[in-house]
Amino acid sequence: VQRHEGEAGYDEDLLARIAAGSQPALAELIARHGRRLRIFAARFLGNHSDAEEVAQEVFIAVWKQAVRFDSEKGRATTWLYRMATNRCIDWKRRRALRSFVGLDDMDVAADEPDAEARTGARQELAVVRQGISQLPARQRMALLLRAVADLDTSAIAEAMGSSVGSAEQLLVRARRSLRDYLSGGHKEGR
Amino acid sequence: MTRDEFEENRRRFGDDFNAWPAPYRQQGRDFLEGRAGAAGGEDKALDRLVLEAAAAETDEQALTRKVLARIDEDRARAPFWSWAWLSPAAMAASVVAVLAAATAAGYTLGADEGSLESDLIAFAIGAPELAGDDLPGIGEEGEL
Repeated sequence: VQRHEGEAGYDEDLLARIAAGSQPALAELIARHGRRLRIFAARFLGNHSDAEEVAQEVFIAVWKQAVRFDSEKGRATTWLYRMATNRCIDWKRRRALRSFVGLDDMDVAADEPDAEARTGARQELAVVRQGISQLPARQRMALLLRAVADLDTSAIAEAMGSSVGSAEQLLVRARRSLRDYLSGGHKEGR
Repeated sequence: MTRDEFEENRRRFGDDFNAWPAPYRQQGRDFLEGRAGAAGGEDKALDRLVLEAAAAETDEQALTRKVLARIDEDRARAPFWSWAWLSPAAMAASVVAVLAAATAAGYTLGADEGSLESDLIAFAIGAPELAGDDLPGIGEEGEL
């Protein structure tokens, strides 16, 4: 039985069609998840062009590996973000290595213009972005998986390859750190 | 129940509000659940703020075009290179082919190279005729 858009299991159906070689199904999956996945990667990596590359790699991997997806073991969204988190971590390591050997001197978390945090109509959101970028990597990832990808704690744990308790702790710490930052910590830091 | 009343009752009856006298027990539970609900609401509000702050202009159609183009490029390259080459069977076949080619090349080189280090090459590859005229035979050695 084929499910319709909005129904539970629709993404799993799309993956089954992708596994059978349907490019329109892949295009639909990108339309459904591409935006959030790219925003997640951009905020985790702090760089939009890297996020674009990561998003492309994730969907190419989906195309190649959709046959391996097992809906008995988890949801399609969790599988998708598991791939995204792995690629983000790989990408960050690659950038760090390139930076170390001098091929790349760009700060991966620094494409947020600092001036944006001080001026402009969207000042508050810019401060929030600054706060997110300053969280430790795993806290940032957990918070983005919750807020941007809309995953619940068990799905966050699965996507990050950690226990549910650990994911909960990361979320609690991330929110506390971000609240501290927003309630004035960012001013003291300057 | 206010926070002060809750704290006062905690001092009087202990930390576990389930052990408090009945009229206070339910009030204590309501107070804590209200706080938990408020905290949950605060978390949701913060999550919404994070989502709003993280949002950026994206173009899913462009992303789709790029992904499909890269898939087509991979397909075009497939005759020359495929992940199937990394399968154990393909790897074993490749090793056998390389060894066979190396052996054949060794014999050819050993047979043709009469002048240059031919004895050493022949000895290395084990060609019988290359035991050579210059090396003493078993019989000769026995006669010494």
